[in-house]
Amino acid sequence: MDTIIGIGLDALAYGMLLFIISIGLSVMMGLMRVINLAHGAFAMVGGYIASYAIRQLGLPYVVAVPTAVAATVVVALPLEFLLFRRIYGGAEPLKQVLMTIGIAFAVIGIVNAVFGPTIKPIPLPGPLHGIVDIASHTMAVHRLVLIVAGLVIAAGLWLAVEKSNFGVRLRAAVDNPDMAAALGIRTDRLYLVTFGIAVALAAFGGIAGAELMPIEPTYALRYMVTFLVVVSVGGAGSTTGALVASLIIGLVDTAGRYLFPSYGMFFTYAAVILIVELAPNGLARRSA
Amino acid sequence: MSAVTARPSPLRGDFIKLAAVALAGLAALVLFPNDLGLMTRIASSAFLVVSLDLVTGYAGIATLGQAALFGLGAYAAANANLAGLGEPILMVAVGGLAGAVAGLIFGAVVLRSRGLAQLVLTIALVQLVHEAANKLSDITGGSDGLSGIDVAPILGAFRFDLYGRTGFVFALVLLLATLAVLSVIVRSPFGLKLRAIGRDPGRVRTLGAAVMPALLVTFTLSGAVAGMGGAIEAISTGVVGLDSVSFERSAMALVMLVLGGSGSLYGAVAGTAVFMGLESIISAANPFHWLIIVGVLLIVVVLFVPRGLTSLAGDVRRLLAIFGLRRDKR
Amino acid sequence: MLQKLMRIGAAAATLVLIAGASAGADTIKVGIIGPLSGPFALGGKNFKAGVEAYVAVHGDTVAGNKVEFVYRDLDGPDPGKAKSVAQDLIIKEKVQYLGGVYLTPSAFAIAPMLEEANVPLVIFNAATSSITQKSPLIVRTSFTLWQTAVPLAKQVAKDGVKKLIITVTDYGPGNDAEAAFRKTFEAAGGKVVETIKMPLSAADFSPFLQRVKDSDAEAVFAFLPSGASTVGFAKAYVESGLKEKGIKLLATGDVTEESGLQAVGDAAIGIRTTYHYSLVHDSALNRDFVAAATKAIGNADELSFPAVAAYDGVHVIYKMIEATAGKQDAKTAVQSVSGLAWESPRGPVKIDPVTRSLTQTIYLREVAKENGRLVNKEIASYPDQPDWGLVK
Repeated sequence: MDTIIGIGLDALAYGMLLFIISIGLSVMMGLMRVINLAHGAFAMVGGYIASYAIRQLGLPYVVAVPTAVAATVVVALPLEFLLFRRIYGGAEPLKQVLMTIGIAFAVIGIVNAVFGPTIKPIPLPGPLHGIVDIASHTMAVHRLVLIVAGLVIAAGLWLAVEKSNFGVRLRAAVDNPDMAAALGIRTDRLYLVTFGIAVALAAFGGIAGAELMPIEPTYALRYMVTFLVVVSVGGAGSTTGALVASLIIGLVDTAGRYLFPSYGMFFTYAAVILIVELAPNGLARRSA
Repeated sequence: MSAVTARPSPLRGDFIKLAAVALAGLAALVLFPNDLGLMTRIASSAFLVVSLDLVTGYAGIATLGQAALFGLGAYAAANANLAGLGEPILMVAVGGLAGAVAGLIFGAVVLRSRGLAQLVLTIALVQLVHEAANKLSDITGGSDGLSGIDVAPILGAFRFDLYGRTGFVFALVLLLATLAVLSVIVRSPFGLKLRAIGRDPGRVRTLGAAVMPALLVTFTLSGAVAGMGGAIEAISTGVVGLDSVSFERSAMALVMLVLGGSGSLYGAVAGTAVFMGLESIISAANPFHWLIIVGVLLIVVVLFVPRGLTSLAGDVRRLLAIFGLRRDKR
Repeated sequence: MLQKLMRIGAAAATLVLIAGASAGADTIKVGIIGPLSGPFALGGKNFKAGVEAYVAVHGDTVAGNKVEFVYRDLDGPDPGKAKSVAQDLIIKEKVQYLGGVYLTPSAFAIAPMLEEANVPLVIFNAATSSITQKSPLIVRTSFTLWQTAVPLAKQVAKDGVKKLIITVTDYGPGNDAEAAFRKTFEAAGGKVVETIKMPLSAADFSPFLQRVKDSDAEAVFAFLPSGASTVGFAKAYVESGLKEKGIKLLATGDVTEESGLQAVGDAAIGIRTTYHYSLVHDSALNRDFVAAATKAIGNADELSFPAVAAYDGVHVIYKMIEATAGKQDAKTAVQSVSGLAWESPRGPVKIDPVTRSLTQTIYLREVAKENGRLVNKEIASYPDQPDWGLVK
């Protein structure tokens, strides 16, 4: 029983981290129809800025995190109207791959040149640092924070997408961008805002998850495959789909590693193949 | 055959391009006799990129797992060698055969879905093969790589030397032969059907043509080409590493293909040569920060040469159009 | 007949190459192959720092010849690229010596061409025992996992641990570490209750440690390649509560590699490891080395163990140049350093004439905090450890 709770909580924390980072990618792939292989680079840049803000500038954690998220968005937004805007739309996915992998390469190279190849820690403040016992299972506080943050973000996104005016326009644009534009929805502005939110979520995930996925230059591509898998299993553009997919992959991965430690990755990829064969359009796909 | 005779000029164009590749290869042999190691690597990688072009450029199926076929060919050829097969030509045949079988299986799994799900299936497959290759270290050498490959002289006469002359000529001749065969295939009725499937599979199906068998044949053919490339790399390097079945290798192949221009065999070759050549020059000039330059170059290519490098070749009008596009940034 | 002719032709070509290279032997080029970019870039940076530190201390002239170092990037485990990079250095740059090589497959790819090229290779890192068996012209100045794991297993058994669980990364060096530790520990009467082989790409290590927790082992032995995974593993160990439960983490020094150690944080204090080198090794020679290497690398946080192997590697190359008076003669060069003993910043070392790897002191260390930095403090030493992978 103890073990089941332990695995469950660890899986939940890992799944929520996957969700926080991948959801932005999912929305971009659903709305702008762009395969963004530089998404991991945004998460990584967030981590680097947070580490720098805390260790070099001496900012307290609670100030450093929002600052780093905002700074990442500020750095990334020019890329939206200089580069990304030119490759939106699903017509030429190969071009998207080429450009976004180019961006990822350049970011890896720049980060390596500026910060060096060592791992950059993001020191946690006292309250997040310790471990607590939940149902006699020992758990790090920062993992609990991931779970809570994931839930809050999921609820917030659900409200924003389903209940707000922004969400109505967003859904319209996902379903039929041409029609939405014809109805007077400013799609380019919508894209810019969505891009900003996607980057912000990635950056936050990069910072909050730095204990699980340490910040170093190759972060940008190292975890990209996992994020892509989450998005396609969940179905591009779907919040619920991405959440469910993240939790499933978190669980399969964690349980697989526990039960069959030497075949952990086998288990994960086999599960991905199985899910894709059973639900080829993703677990919850908004548009056909 | 009628489709071929009806289009004499493209076929002649193919011969010119083939001759151009041959000339470029010979020129490399004479002009860069000290770089034949790199040239051989370019030739063996060209097999991988050309094989990717068949499924992605022609049949319209994006894959990020093509290296699985390349690497399986390499492992098969290396194992055949360790079992006593020294003749390099036969090793390439073994690699091609293994690649073909792997390609057929790969296709059968991947073709069940479409779009993004399909792309992720290809990723999952190459990762599975990678994990399996790491596990089965008895036949793959695991992460240390499979070493000890001892290749006999080609046809008992041409020994592989330090400068890599034999290795390069061997790879180049096989590449030319493969390109010649593939040029005929892609111009054949089958090839035309494949292009049609790539543009709109639904329509081809409505027209009453069988889509699935054609795609499976393509995957098999593509696997054979990739497997041959893997075997050639195993022969010229003497070691097969896990990198040969990696996602990274697959992704880089896609980058080279798009760079050169997909849907054209010679675009695939040009993309490979340009990317690997530039990478080598830039990384020798600045071994520490070359990745930044390569990344920026890729972005620049998408912005200013959106149709791939082959769209530049020989067409001055299009060149002008590209500079025109540069002026009116949309 | 034809074959014979070809062979004679090749030999003649090689002779011409040698003559050409040694004619203008005032400058001797040494090619350094290492991961200067990519996931192992820290290793390549330390190669360079070690080389530059040696040159800063000992100068760049040996026996009247100026030594010039040429760097080439080999970013990952890609044997094809390794071979063409080495060919490039040998044929185009006309280097007389090769040094560096971070990963095993690269060493395997380069080994077969050394004799024809008449170039010795001094390995600065790649740690699989069998590498030196692939060519008589290979010498290694780093360590092997057999070398670091065997003394630890003996110590653990001596400390009275009976039941132990092994967690290693599932690839070549991990398998070496596992085999070395298991064999030694079981020979000393211990019992390995389980072996967990963790995938190289694992991100979250908590499930593996949950498994450790559920076993009845008294201690856990770990090996992971230094970098993101060691940091993740060490953190997960602390967070899993194993430390509180009194289940000791024992590892090779890769797990507490100094640059990553700072990212693990104070929770790492007390972890015991065995390794061939600690940055805080207490000797005047080491303090000078650290000062010179820190200056070369520019950032004290980035200095790490590959630098000392590179430093000693250049020492070996200089000795070879002395012995051959600057002429290109790989065989004589390697013979001249076989059995060579010297005082390295890590302590006394000697090139074993049989394995051509170093016989050296392995240290037992404990993570401690000194002057605000986490360090590996040496608490015991095991002198004259050979490469146990080849010496039985």
